[in-house]
Amino acid sequence: MEAAELRVGFVGAGRMAGGMARGLLRAGKVPAGSILASAPSDRNLDAWREIRPAVGPHHVVVSLAAGVTLQKLQRLLPAGTKVLRLMPNLPCVVQAGAMVFARGSGASDEDAALLRNLLTSCGLCEEVPESYIDIHTGLSGSGVAYVYLFAEALAEGAVKMGMPGALASRIAAQTLLGAAKVMLETGEHPAKLRGDVCTPGGTTIHALHQLEKGALRATVMSAVEAATQRARDVGED
Amino acid sequence: MGVNFTVSNKDTVKGSDVLFLAVKPPIIPFILDEVGPDIEARHIVVSCAAGVTISSIEKKLSAFCPTPKVIRCMTNTPVIVREGATVYATGTHADVEDGKLLEQLMASVGFCTEVEEDLIDAVTGLSGSGPAYAFTALDALADGGVKMGLPRRLAVRLGAQALLGAAKMLLESEQHPGQLKDNVCSPGGATIHALHFLESGGFRSLLINAVEASCIRTRELQHLADQEKISPAAIKKTLLDKVKLESPSLSLASASKVSLFTNKSPSSKKN
Repeated sequence: MEAAELRVGFVGAGRMAGGMARGLLRAGKVPAGSILASAPSDRNLDAWREIRPAVGPHHVVVSLAAGVTLQKLQRLLPAGTKVLRLMPNLPCVVQAGAMVFARGSGASDEDAALLRNLLTSCGLCEEVPESYIDIHTGLSGSGVAYVYLFAEALAEGAVKMGMPGALASRIAAQTLLGAAKVMLETGEHPAKLRGDVCTPGGTTIHALHQLEKGALRATVMSAVEAATQRARDVGED
Repeated sequence: MGVNFTVSNKDTVKGSDVLFLAVKPPIIPFILDEVGPDIEARHIVVSCAAGVTISSIEKKLSAFCPTPKVIRCMTNTPVIVREGATVYATGTHADVEDGKLLEQLMASVGFCTEVEEDLIDAVTGLSGSGPAYAFTALDALADGGVKMGLPRRLAVRLGAQALLGAAKMLLESEQHPGQLKDNVCSPGGATIHALHFLESGGFRSLLINAVEASCIRTRELQHLADQEKISPAAIKKTLLDKVKLESPSLSLASASKVSLFTNKSPSSKKN
């Protein structure tokens, strides 16, 4: 099925659905008339039960519900339904998202390819084993917040040294964007890229020493671990 | 070893072309005063003393020889097993060939390269002291092995081999050590769990601190040497105590120098 003829429905019209819909529209992949969203409320599972009678063999159901496993979804929907479980992140709204999805037993290679094709308009989209989804939450779903925290801290450092806050904030964001772009475009190891910036005895290596003294690496690893573990715990409820 | 040995510094100087000064940094000025008169144009004086600058050596020797060839060198203990790390900087009157001669000598016992003199203190902090950091790490790694059930000797052997192998991989690879580290860390595996502990403990910053501390201390020692002050700690390990009991020695030029020992010259060698 061509993406152009596709009709995309969102069950749930919260931030995540909104972000993805906006991403799809901006990318021009799907016309607005082909997107339908419904907003039941927070009763996720009830929503699935509600739509169950309407779900047919031609539907490709993509669940964004955090913590709800493919197993659970497949139980709630007609047998053999094509189900995929997706974990995006908020920057989908500016088409710079990071998304992973796992497919259920009823979903074929074509279904996976269709989803990937549709979603690359919103950013990076990769198929993964279901067990990676919680890790993705810890790394990138929540990860966006870690970046905001880091950006805020960078800007505050600049303000402390005498730069106005608004300017510092813009520069902090651009610095993160630029560094990420170099990493994605060159594919080089971040350790190597870091070394490239460090002239001997220069400003950067002095600053990095401070970061290492603060055990920043370990703290970030712990953050990813905590969010991942939380996702797993919530998933088991 | 079959090497010739003498108690006379003078004889050593007379009988050599490349002269290594291998005494502790605070002793260098006194040695230079002692052997200065015997230094000839052919001599290449190589100082291995941490923190002692080429200019301070040249200044001392120029009282005796107009164009002394001085090279400053920093090496490390693994030269013993021919895996040393050596750098050198050439002085004002040392030619390219003199540097190359030293490089050839030191390359036979490990890695050797020329550097600008102002980098030598940093080299001291890194590879000069480096083996001590490695021995400390190896001792601790062995403890870890023993804690988890390995016999001590085996733990030491395996730890040393692991570091040796890793170093060899890095030296022979184009890859960044970060990449090599990643190659060892399978997802969710043992190694990445262990690395998290290292990072939590500030492992990296400890090593950075160590190199920095050693480098800074080297510069302090240089300062002390320039002032020709000897700390009591430096004295007690040398033969200077013996010298005090002997009759005053040789060199007439010693009258012109500033010294704590007004009418004696030290005749010590590195112990």
